[in-house]
Amino acid sequence: MTTSDTRRDYLQNQKSSGRKLLGVFPAQFPRELLWAFNILPVEIWDPPVEIAQANAHLQPYICSIVRGGLELILQGKSSLVDGYLFPHTCDSLQNLASIVNDHLDTGKPCFFFYHPKAVDGQPAREFYRNQLTQLIDRLEQHFGSINIERLQECIQTSRRLYSQLNELFNLRKQGLLQITNSDFYATLRRSEFLWPTDYISELELLLTQKCVKPLPSRAVVLSGILPNPPEILSLLDQHKIRIAADDLLNGQRRMTFLPTNANDPLEAITDAYFAQPPCSTKDSAIAERLKHLQKLTVDSKSKGVIFNIIKFCEPELFDLPQLRAGLRSTGIPSLVIETEINQVLSGQIVTRLEAFLEMIGD
Amino acid sequence: MSLTGQLRYHFMKDIGAPALMGLQNITKKKRIRKPDPLFAPPLECTARLKEIMTRHYYLARFVPGAKPVAWVTSGAPVELLRSFGFYTIYPENHGSLVGAKKQGANMCAIAEGAGYSPDLCSYARIDLAHTLSGKTPAGRLPKPDILFAANNICQTIVYWFKAIAHHYDIPLILLDTPFNYSAINDGDIKYMVAQLQEMIPVLEQAAKKKFNYAEFQEIIGRARDTSLAWSDVLATMKNRPAPMTIFETFFHLAPIVSLRGLPVTYDYYQILLEELQQRVRQGIGAVTNERKRLMWDNIAIWYKVRDHSVQFAEQGMNFVTATYTNAWAETTVYMDVNNPFESMAKTYSLVILNNNLDYRLRLMERLIKEYQVDGLVIHSARSCKPYSVGQYDIKRKLRERLGIPAVVIDGDITDARAYSEEQTRTRLEAFFETMGD
Amino acid sequence: MPNDYFAGIDVGSLSTEAVIVDSNKHLLSYSIVNTGINSSAAAEEALSEALQKAELPRNRIAKIIATGYGRAAVGAAHKRMTEITCHAAGAQQLFPEVRTVIDIGGQDSKVIHIGQDGQLVDFAMNDKCAAGTGRFLEIMAKRLEVKLEKLGDLALLAEKAVSISNTCTVFAESEVVSLVAQNHPIDEIIRGLHVAIVNRIWNQVQTVGVHGQVALTGGVALNRGVVNLLEEKLEQTLEIYSEPQIVGALGAAILASK
Repeated sequence: MTTSDTRRDYLQNQKSSGRKLLGVFPAQFPRELLWAFNILPVEIWDPPVEIAQANAHLQPYICSIVRGGLELILQGKSSLVDGYLFPHTCDSLQNLASIVNDHLDTGKPCFFFYHPKAVDGQPAREFYRNQLTQLIDRLEQHFGSINIERLQECIQTSRRLYSQLNELFNLRKQGLLQITNSDFYATLRRSEFLWPTDYISELELLLTQKCVKPLPSRAVVLSGILPNPPEILSLLDQHKIRIAADDLLNGQRRMTFLPTNANDPLEAITDAYFAQPPCSTKDSAIAERLKHLQKLTVDSKSKGVIFNIIKFCEPELFDLPQLRAGLRSTGIPSLVIETEINQVLSGQIVTRLEAFLEMIGD
Repeated sequence: MSLTGQLRYHFMKDIGAPALMGLQNITKKKRIRKPDPLFAPPLECTARLKEIMTRHYYLARFVPGAKPVAWVTSGAPVELLRSFGFYTIYPENHGSLVGAKKQGANMCAIAEGAGYSPDLCSYARIDLAHTLSGKTPAGRLPKPDILFAANNICQTIVYWFKAIAHHYDIPLILLDTPFNYSAINDGDIKYMVAQLQEMIPVLEQAAKKKFNYAEFQEIIGRARDTSLAWSDVLATMKNRPAPMTIFETFFHLAPIVSLRGLPVTYDYYQILLEELQQRVRQGIGAVTNERKRLMWDNIAIWYKVRDHSVQFAEQGMNFVTATYTNAWAETTVYMDVNNPFESMAKTYSLVILNNNLDYRLRLMERLIKEYQVDGLVIHSARSCKPYSVGQYDIKRKLRERLGIPAVVIDGDITDARAYSEEQTRTRLEAFFETMGD
Repeated sequence: MPNDYFAGIDVGSLSTEAVIVDSNKHLLSYSIVNTGINSSAAAEEALSEALQKAELPRNRIAKIIATGYGRAAVGAAHKRMTEITCHAAGAQQLFPEVRTVIDIGGQDSKVIHIGQDGQLVDFAMNDKCAAGTGRFLEIMAKRLEVKLEKLGDLALLAEKAVSISNTCTVFAESEVVSLVAQNHPIDEIIRGLHVAIVNRIWNQVQTVGVHGQVALTGGVALNRGVVNLLEEKLEQTLEIYSEPQIVGALGAAILASK
């Protein structure tokens, strides 16, 4: 059975058990809220679809994530979901949301979530909270009332989940987890469609791979949107290179630390959002992102940073030259590779990666 | 701000620059253009427009030390800055000038040499190239003290301004305008008002000047009146034949974009309006043989404006409206001197590019009807994703609903490397054929 | 008899080169063959030819390093390294003062910054499109019905260059067609194409920076038009080896000897 089969079966079972499914586009959204509605968020990042129909709606200079997501909808392969949620991540996803909502007849409700940009003062916090209540209102119109006690429970679950993730990342950082890059990220990415308690069980299993002595391997930091094409990971495995920390939008950039002291669940979710690492899609200052990358590299004793950039991804591309210059000035080499989702790594990209590995030495 | 700097700036502004411009006008040999049978004689106002814009860029060299400088995005609430006396520079306007001078690709290449991807917005690449190299074929941009942005036109501009902020190590002040997936709500407005109010102490410090509410109200009033005048200017093109072409409005747009809120801009549109109304009374059309009326979608292809205007005029086709030029007129009605902050929030967050595609479709439908449009030319601009993504669907829907023929031109606002002359010609010729006689 | 000879094999998309050096890193022989569709066969062929020229039996080769796109297909290799590291090593051996290597091959181009000991400091490669590669010139030569080898000289003969605005190879091709139709002199169009490719390369050079002396390697180094225009941009003379295609294979052989 292929991965997509098992994913589909899982979703089918979830649906039969009475859960609602929501197709969620990248990247930032309050998952605890959805869980409290008994809604399973199914994230749409890099669906394995052949692009055909999406080209009738999108120009050639739009990234493969947006194109792949739209194709999934057009081919009817998201028939299981009961609606779509579009976080406001970038210009292309913003307009994709509008194409789907205004111009396509999917017969499913669309929900939106606008996260505040660049600002983290009181107005932004209030706005974020307001976005949460608005999303609740909209969801209640389709999926019944939210249960506040259940929301409290979901927040507890979320705390457990993130503390385990945190432990796993710490072990990865020290080289104390006996697992390849490929396997590690394959498991991590199952958070994109598993119910949180199921996911927690898988993380627990992963934690059993803990070893006492650090494994011999060179370390790098991986930055970008997501670890796709997966061949990047296997190529690094082949060369015994460990991704000791990541700055991926669907990885550690979304690490959320829900405070334990906030009694009000919406306040807890708000606090967690504003405590996340800096990110291009939130318009974080370049200096902040640079400091974060330097810290990731130094703390994990990494030899350099690999930026895996999705072609046409403006938020990431704009930050790159200054991030690389800043890293260089502190003696951290970096590499940029531009990829499209689900495409076989070209010989040229393999050469770039291997040359970088030769460059950073043993 | 030094006293001598301020004295020198004001001397140049009031006496030096006008004298110099006058001199230039005398010494410059007036080129007598042969009357072009395709077009009415150029608008007399054009000379005044050139003078205003040249003076603006010329004065920039006396600004450092005299006035605080802000680099501003085209959709930012500049009225707030005006009340603090900032000298404002619009990198987007600079980009369009570079594009019109056909220097876009060369400037972009400089930014690409510094590691900026050729897939990025070309206005941004031009501005980054200027920031990094100091080179520019158009005007002169004084170093900014602050950056002032709103993301109502795109998210891209914030990424771009972030890079400039990092380069100069200066503050970036952002008005975050939540995208209107559906109708605007009170939470959004409250958020924007709170941000605007939080900017005041920051701007007071940068400008070393106290905020004056009454002065601010006056500026809001003037901005509204100017926008209304611009809207009247555009409305003259509802007449048959239209007294102006949209290609001309692309240039007459410069003051409303970059000198909004200043008396000179208001005055300018009054004389432009007068001249256009005069033309209407006399039945003069900008295109002598106006057979068909067209609408333009998206930003201009700056290096091709002249070519396109001839190419279409030869077919007896005139562009009478554009979603682009309309953007500075469409939300003016919200401006309210008695409620400046809230009305500014609405004015700036309800613009076309911060609105969903259904809103855009309805707006275009209205323009097509009001301006009696026969055909639509859609510029798919590599640089501008929020403007371009969704165009295919809008084209399809407009054809379904109004039976209006449309053509898509692939290109870019300033980077001529993304434009294929041959491919475009073929598409346009096919479009001309579908438009019939 | 000690096995004191070393081989480098560079399997490129168009041609495959093999180089044999002795333990003092002296070049003994080299060969250039067409890659064709079977890269492992091409590697074998190139190696046998080089061995033959050096009059050495196969078993005298102590170590073989394979490089180039087809490096994975070379079964005989003891080690595989990227052509970036190999070009750096090869250029360093030929021109010890060189710190920047520009390599323009058939399918890609790269700019390499090398340190004092020949180690890799930084590098840049062209993106997916063919605009800054030999392939661009090859397509245009075919379109203009001019021999590829003649292209560079024709560019130098032209008094001026016609500006080619498109960098995309497909667009540029149609642009060239219409320039021909508009009766622009062929040599001026050709010069324009050379300006376009050099501008493209120049962007890459800028991202890495010009350090010390600069060497040009790869097949396009034989094109005098490109060399000339590039030198104008660099404001310095390029170091070019008489057989610029074999620098990668030479580097691989040098690295094998270490």
